[in-house]
Amino acid sequence: MAGEMLEEEFDDILDDWFIESLKTYKDLHVFQLEHPTRVIEWTSGKTVCVAGYSSSKNDILELRLPLKVFADENKGLCAERDFKVVHGGFTGSPVRCLRHVPGTRCVVTSDGQNADLQVWELGGDDSDVIRRTGSVKGRNASESGCRIAARVSTPPQVLHGAGISDVQLTQLISGETLYKLDVDSDEPLSSLQFVSDSVFLAGCFNGSVCIADTRTSAAPQLHPPPSSSGEPALWWTDASSAPQQSDCKVVRLSSSGRAVVSDWRNLGGIACQAQLDVQTRPDKLKEASVSWAPALAGYISVSGFSGAVQIYNTCVWKTELQDVQPLFQHRGHAVSSEQTDGSAPAFVTSHVWHPERPRTLLSAASDGSLHVWDWVEPETK
Amino acid sequence: MPEIKVTPLGAGQDVGRSCILVSIGGKNIMLDCGMHMGYNDDRRFPDFSYIVQNSRLTDFLDCVIISHFHLDHCGALPYMSEMVGYDGPIYMTHPTKAICPILLEDFRKITVDKKGETNFFTSQMIKDCMKKVIPLNLHQTVQVDDELEIKAYYAGHVLGAAMVHIKVGSESVVYTGDYNMTPDRHLGAAWIDKCRPDILISESTYATTIRDSKRCRERDFLKKVHESIERGGKVLIPVFALGRAQELCILLETFWERMNLKAPIYFSTGLTEKANHYYKLFITWTNQKIRKTFVQRNMFEFKHIKAFDRSYADNPGPMVVFATPGMLHAGQSLQIFKKWAGNEKNMVIMPGYCVQGTIGHKILNGQRKLEMEGRTTLDVKLQVEYMSFSAHADAKGIMQLIRMAEPRNMLLVHGEAVKMEFLKGKIEQEFSIDCYMPANGETTTITTNPSVPVDMSLSLLKREMALGGPLPDPKKPRTMHGTLIMKENSLKLVSSEQALKELGLNEYQLRFTCRVQLQDPHSDVDTLHRIYTHLKNVLKGYTIQHLPDSTVMVESIVIKVTSSAEDSSTKVLLLSWSYQDEDLGSYLSSLLKKGLPSGLC
Repeated sequence: MAGEMLEEEFDDILDDWFIESLKTYKDLHVFQLEHPTRVIEWTSGKTVCVAGYSSSKNDILELRLPLKVFADENKGLCAERDFKVVHGGFTGSPVRCLRHVPGTRCVVTSDGQNADLQVWELGGDDSDVIRRTGSVKGRNASESGCRIAARVSTPPQVLHGAGISDVQLTQLISGETLYKLDVDSDEPLSSLQFVSDSVFLAGCFNGSVCIADTRTSAAPQLHPPPSSSGEPALWWTDASSAPQQSDCKVVRLSSSGRAVVSDWRNLGGIACQAQLDVQTRPDKLKEASVSWAPALAGYISVSGFSGAVQIYNTCVWKTELQDVQPLFQHRGHAVSSEQTDGSAPAFVTSHVWHPERPRTLLSAASDGSLHVWDWVEPETK
Repeated sequence: MPEIKVTPLGAGQDVGRSCILVSIGGKNIMLDCGMHMGYNDDRRFPDFSYIVQNSRLTDFLDCVIISHFHLDHCGALPYMSEMVGYDGPIYMTHPTKAICPILLEDFRKITVDKKGETNFFTSQMIKDCMKKVIPLNLHQTVQVDDELEIKAYYAGHVLGAAMVHIKVGSESVVYTGDYNMTPDRHLGAAWIDKCRPDILISESTYATTIRDSKRCRERDFLKKVHESIERGGKVLIPVFALGRAQELCILLETFWERMNLKAPIYFSTGLTEKANHYYKLFITWTNQKIRKTFVQRNMFEFKHIKAFDRSYADNPGPMVVFATPGMLHAGQSLQIFKKWAGNEKNMVIMPGYCVQGTIGHKILNGQRKLEMEGRTTLDVKLQVEYMSFSAHADAKGIMQLIRMAEPRNMLLVHGEAVKMEFLKGKIEQEFSIDCYMPANGETTTITTNPSVPVDMSLSLLKREMALGGPLPDPKKPRTMHGTLIMKENSLKLVSSEQALKELGLNEYQLRFTCRVQLQDPHSDVDTLHRIYTHLKNVLKGYTIQHLPDSTVMVESIVIKVTSSAEDSSTKVLLLSWSYQDEDLGSYLSSLLKKGLPSGLC
């Protein structure tokens, strides 16, 4: 047809990717939130929390995933493709980190401005309002938000810190400090997670990591970052879940795209590594995310560098640094954001794997988009 | 205080039928008259006894307005107008007027013929009901009577769907019906101007959802069709001529072209003619793209889509067929379904809601064995897919609409208040307006603050301006004095003098004088000065002047001092004030009667 409008062209771009997606995704859902989120946190097998990060008024939402995602046997008969806002609340500051305290209906957030964390009650069936119920005292603030970790415990507790020197375990209701990490270092934290009831992994922006146990007060060993000859980079860390804690693997991702995997018992060494094919953003990268797939051994997902979420299979990596290609790329956010006039293309702000469904992920981007996708394992050639 | 009352008819928490009563400026309006599709008895009709018991509704309603042709918005209309009784005007847009009777008749056939119901409206009733309909054009103000006017706005959603603006005097209400804020392949997005109604009434059904994109729904559709075709299966898509058929055809045509697919796509001829006819009639109701396409070529002229012949259903190999009717309850789509149901490679895609009693409804509920005429059973082996393409606004859409219309109050129907507190809070916070959520059967009364326009005389305006004072500030109203004259239908504000003149009355001034005796040894002049000082100390904030003509003035009250002829230390104070300063004047006289305090200089 002659004289096609610009809109038509973008329709074409979407068309190409969308048509490709018929084969590459089992399921794909694309949503637009009113405001972008930096956090996606599971609060149950079917619900997630998201929250805004603008400097003033923000919403915190608990969303129930579309029923169609879970309707396995009768998927055809389920037409429900929408997210339901089951609970919502307001906050006057940005939400940089959000953590659900398992076994409770509480979430804890950090706004990147205060040392203290905010505690929220998500609400039950009788009300749809998320209310602020208290604070957790912290010692230092972090611009990117204090890191928060939690596991099931009675009474509920939360592990948090801005830097590796102020990590502490606080009892949620009483505010009592149950444990403090004793490490001689000033480094700001980039990740904090429990791998068991008492053992946790702390990773710093400079790439150093340490394993500690909340039951002991002994100072743990701080392992230095992987050696590199290039410019100083920022690092993010994730530990895999494994039936035996000693089988856990730890992956460290740098802002230059280097990924290093270490064994739990040898954090100083390199089990395998690779130079990832990340298209870096023009503006300086401040936040990236690396995550082990909960149900696919050896698979990691990476985001933050661009409008894509990349999935790599570390099982085929070697000990020498080599370039690798992603096994799968979710480019949905990049593709649909090309339509906005003039503004910078969207980059992915956050992504999570579904805890049980092997290839289901949720990802969010800076343009407010939120995707739920179930990808198809590409056939190995 | 003037009020607007809104009552959603219905019981308890049930959703699924729209019928809202609005009382505004002495007028009663019914918005939509939907059927509840989940009930088989009288509960499916709205309970009109709320308006009046055992009587016709004509005297109690000024008009009925129907937003669009979906049965949950117009399904009970013939029942209301012909069985309960209403002879007044029924307003709806032209497309709605054309399409409503078709759907109502279809629905009647299914309910009466298939399910054998008796307490239902007849074909003649549908016809009689439609005779009462007055069609609306978009953005055209229609005077229902001297005081009530209505205007329709584009709502998107389905062909002919409208949002309606209702105005009586300076009070107004906007009812959205079903609408959507994102354009789709054949309809535009809802639009309304900054009409600032007192109340914006909307459904809350989708207010707490976040809608999956239209493209993902389409993707799912294409994926399913493609998978069936690839395995050699046949795909049946039962459609209503004016639903999504057109859109889905465009989608498949583009897809077939892109993928270079060869399997044939057919649509039944009845479908083409009807659709073409209606789209031609209502071309202004579709979106830009469709209009452009239609100008260039016949809308149903596709490269890959051909007219269906019933013999093709027996052809081997993959194919896609669009056939009516949409709920598989009769006709060609049912015939094809019976032929294809037994093969698991085949697929039926249901693009919308199916009424109870239809085959469509049964298979969407998972039934795999169907009882057909002649006591035969049909085994449903083909794949059944339920896809919802209907366009609705979601949480974000509601906020967008409120931003567009700028209502003074928001009212959401069909929601559970406890499940909507967050949305209510969001609306109240972002727009600083109240958000109401009445339960079905509950009346919400909202007090409005209508502005009453009054003409002001030029001379009065000039006089007020000449008085000086602070500059006019829209946020701070300034008090002014005048007389309001209500003559015929106009309101005028004029100066008192002009009012008296117009009424032929004389103006009189009332002045009070009083004498107060005071013991004071000083001279008249000094006594006066002492009075001045005393008053200045006591009456802070008042204008007190000591004038050269030997008077003290407090606001407009005049005080003079003279000595008594017999005794020079007995002073007589003469106080004089006009009627307007009566309070202050009598206060001053009591004050001065108490004498002057010692120690005044």
